[in-house]
Amino acid sequence: MERGLGQISLVPAVGGAFVCSNAGDVIVSTSPPLLATATMNNIGREIARAFSAFEASGRPVSRLDVTYDTWRLFANDIGDAIMFVVCHPGVDAAIVRMTVDVATAGWHKDAKIQKRMAQHKTSRRAAITRTALDERSQQVWQLIESHTWPGAQNAQAV
Amino acid sequence: MADGLTGNLAQLALADILKMLCAGLQTGRLELSEGNARADIYLKAGDIVHVAAGHQVGEGAMALIVGWQRGTFRFESQVAAAEVTITKSLEQLLSDAGRVAAEREAIARAIPAGDSTPRLSATVPGGAITLQPHEWLVITHINGQRTIADIAAAMGRDDFAVGKVVYRLMAAKLVEVHTDAPVVVAKATTSQAFFRALTGATAAAVGPLASIIIDDAVEDLGSTRDSFPRELVSSLVERVASEIRETDQRVHFQQTMLTALRQFAA
Repeated sequence: MERGLGQISLVPAVGGAFVCSNAGDVIVSTSPPLLATATMNNIGREIARAFSAFEASGRPVSRLDVTYDTWRLFANDIGDAIMFVVCHPGVDAAIVRMTVDVATAGWHKDAKIQKRMAQHKTSRRAAITRTALDERSQQVWQLIESHTWPGAQNAQAV
Repeated sequence: MADGLTGNLAQLALADILKMLCAGLQTGRLELSEGNARADIYLKAGDIVHVAAGHQVGEGAMALIVGWQRGTFRFESQVAAAEVTITKSLEQLLSDAGRVAAEREAIARAIPAGDSTPRLSATVPGGAITLQPHEWLVITHINGQRTIADIAAAMGRDDFAVGKVVYRLMAAKLVEVHTDAPVVVAKATTSQAFFRALTGATAAAVGPLASIIIDDAVEDLGSTRDSFPRELVSSLVERVASEIRETDQRVHFQQTMLTALRQFAA
């Protein structure tokens, strides 16, 4: 996994990359880590919820691209975990996405990596509890789940 | 270990060279040249400590060279920097330099050259406007005849710093900029050699439909093979990759084309 993240961090304008479990725990990051572990955990949790929200609304996505003033975050759903790439906003996004695809393709076939991921395996929905969300987020989540979204695929309330 | 490391920026991007040298905790000087321009980056035990390019040093110099995609590099180890002008980490330095470079590009688009002449706007801007002292100083030098380079020289500042202020004054509709020379922006186009490589890799994945898939993707991006902008090649490759249904073949194609993109980056 470290080698895959290393390949990604070699892409021009990429600062670093890390992988979080669906609960937001950091599994691996480029060395030295670009962000504090607590920050990566927070990002992991929030983005895991965002993926869950899209799924609950019947519009699942596999990538999220969040652009800030001075940096850009690519989040890639890799099944039992989420891979994050932290970049300069002007990065060549297509190159980043393809490099992520190439780097993670081998992970699904690598028994050691699968074992390592399995140790952190959690359901994304399990991270969405009353205690984990503030009141407003809880209301939004209930709205997402209860609403029938036009054109939605696989919409289901849990 | 990295002593004698030489090469072409078209083959190995500057960011990648620096990442490699920093990771190897190298000390020495990385000499870069692009046409007549030269720059030196000094490292000490894996940290970048000094950058010099033209008359600029530090982060300003880094912003000038961060976008270099052609030219050559040579690393000479154990050469110490005469001064320290950089204290940021490589990631932060590249990120900030990239931002400044993008800002320079935006300013260059609005104010094409140092010989552009700013003039006070004839129309009255609406609403209240707050000016910073340095912006007012630039305004006091604007007389409709002095160029940005003239103003910069009179103020003892560089063209970019003055251009940046003029850019903000233009945005506030206080100033207009005129240039005598017509601005011709030539966009770099993609070589036919790249299309041959793309066609070969696509054909290996999808067979004889390769050319049709590529032409459709080129058209979707609003262009033609003959005039395809170089800045869109990665998007083109990604579009073509999305047409390859079989995962292993798609990944192999992406791997091949990422290598090709690096080679054709010049």
